[in-house]
Amino acid sequence: MNLIREIWRSIVRRDPLSTDKGKSELVFLNVWLHIHPAKVKKENIKFRYSFYLGFITFFLFLILLTTGIALMFYYRPYPSVAYQDMKDLQFAVFMGPFLRNMHRWAAQAMVLCVFLHMCRVFYTGSYKKPRQFNWVIGVMLLLLTLGLSFTGYLLPWDQLAYWAITVGTNIGSYAPLVGGRLRELLLGGHTVGEAALIRFYVLHVAILPSLVILLTIVHFWRVRKDGGLSRPLWKLKPRKTEALVTIGAPAEVAPLHVAAASPDKTYGLMEVVTGKPIFETVTPEEEEDTVFSYPYAFVREAVALMATVTTVMTVSLFFNAPLEEMANPAITPNPAKAPWYFLGLQELVSHSALLGGVVIPALMVIALLAIPYMDRNPSRRPRDRKWALWVFTFFVVANVALIIIGTFFRGPGWAWVPPWVHVVARPE
Amino acid sequence: MNRRSFMSWGTAGVAALCSAVGVSLGAVGRFLTPSVFYEPPQTFKIGKPADFPFGSPTFLVDEKIFVFRHREKGFAVASAVCTHLGCTVKYFQSDQDFHCPCHGSIYSANGTVLHGPAPRPLNWFEITLAPDGQLRVDKNKIVPPTYRLMV
Repeated sequence: MNLIREIWRSIVRRDPLSTDKGKSELVFLNVWLHIHPAKVKKENIKFRYSFYLGFITFFLFLILLTTGIALMFYYRPYPSVAYQDMKDLQFAVFMGPFLRNMHRWAAQAMVLCVFLHMCRVFYTGSYKKPRQFNWVIGVMLLLLTLGLSFTGYLLPWDQLAYWAITVGTNIGSYAPLVGGRLRELLLGGHTVGEAALIRFYVLHVAILPSLVILLTIVHFWRVRKDGGLSRPLWKLKPRKTEALVTIGAPAEVAPLHVAAASPDKTYGLMEVVTGKPIFETVTPEEEEDTVFSYPYAFVREAVALMATVTTVMTVSLFFNAPLEEMANPAITPNPAKAPWYFLGLQELVSHSALLGGVVIPALMVIALLAIPYMDRNPSRRPRDRKWALWVFTFFVVANVALIIIGTFFRGPGWAWVPPWVHVVARPE
Repeated sequence: MNRRSFMSWGTAGVAALCSAVGVSLGAVGRFLTPSVFYEPPQTFKIGKPADFPFGSPTFLVDEKIFVFRHREKGFAVASAVCTHLGCTVKYFQSDQDFHCPCHGSIYSANGTVLHGPAPRPLNWFEITLAPDGQLRVDKNKIVPPTYRLMV
């Protein structure tokens, strides 16, 4: 028994979880958990503040990594066999359809959650100082998510894949000066063919996921360094003016004179100097406002993880990912539609390829990246930032409206066809 | 080290670093550009003139071209690739026009844009008679829609 206990103690080196020290050590002695603080603000772990959208997005990414690796065992990125492998996954591989469905639906949910997460961060004003650059990283992650989705779209090598990528890469070629060259680099040729498939595969399974992982680490790290999630608006207080006190320090030690890096930050700089204890510097009222991450934050995260996985699994049991006929360069399906989250772009492109496909999207991305630097208003309260809220809401509504038009109101030949009208194809 | 030599060595160092990065990026770009394209040739033979009927055009799937044969006016070859975003257009004999299924562009029988977002008319390619009596199409040579090969 002693040996077993010794082995257990060699693995788990913290104090028992019944003690506050044990609860803290669980966090900061564990490489996976120590991105959390030992204690979190009560308000910040409430569902109604963040809707856990960042976590859910991350969990969806984990589902995508897992199912994606599973699918790689059966998929060969070569035109003559790629579609056959998809059919195998659909009909011959044990659990193949389920894994593919999970991958497809989690990908779509991730696009949605990244977007909603961005909206939440905007509406709560959480991109403001000192979090400006983390917003920029978030926008990059949004673009990478769309890139992953776009590159994954070609892999089934069906009609949907072939034509969405043909149209998508042609949009890129409208970019002045470099457009044609970029398209050639992306496709490894002049048409969507075998070179394009292997390039999209490498981007999809290696390059883009690696970039997402790298940026996600930075994204999380900066959230942590900025004191966790931004303070909910109903908890915003005037900036601290009182002297910081040092909890746990012996009485004879003078309080540390440190300035909080951010008004949201609970924990100040931890002083690590030989011969002195490590102090945490908080105001007493903040101390009352916090709870230990274990169990309060971890239980909530675990529930969010389980809810995400369960939802994706349930949807995947009942709804199959689409797979059309094998790619046929000669026949363009009518209408040829991109995935729903690109339909707003396709709607713009149907009016002008240069303006709708290059200029407007480029300006939108630049505007998104520049938001935290253009918005000089320090206040996060809605009544102080009406103009910003209106502009952003217009942007959101316009995007959603374009997607709805592209999805439901466009028929053969991209003609205006309401969803309740049935159109019969015109004879040749 | 005095200030002058620090500045000159520093400038040289930064310049060397920038050139190294530039050369590396150029090398990556060149590496990603295939030296050989394993794609269908742009010049190809499509068969004997007698293989093509008069009237409605013949659509060649792999080459993505329409071959027109007019009784008095001879042969002409139109591209089936929409100039907007590269979808394959369809020819409608009843209205004598081309329709793109992706974004609704419509081209007249001579390829000019009648409707939709297409920025340019459809391409027409040079068609010639090879010495062996076969028709030869060269996609690298764009010709006006009035171009005809009389056989």
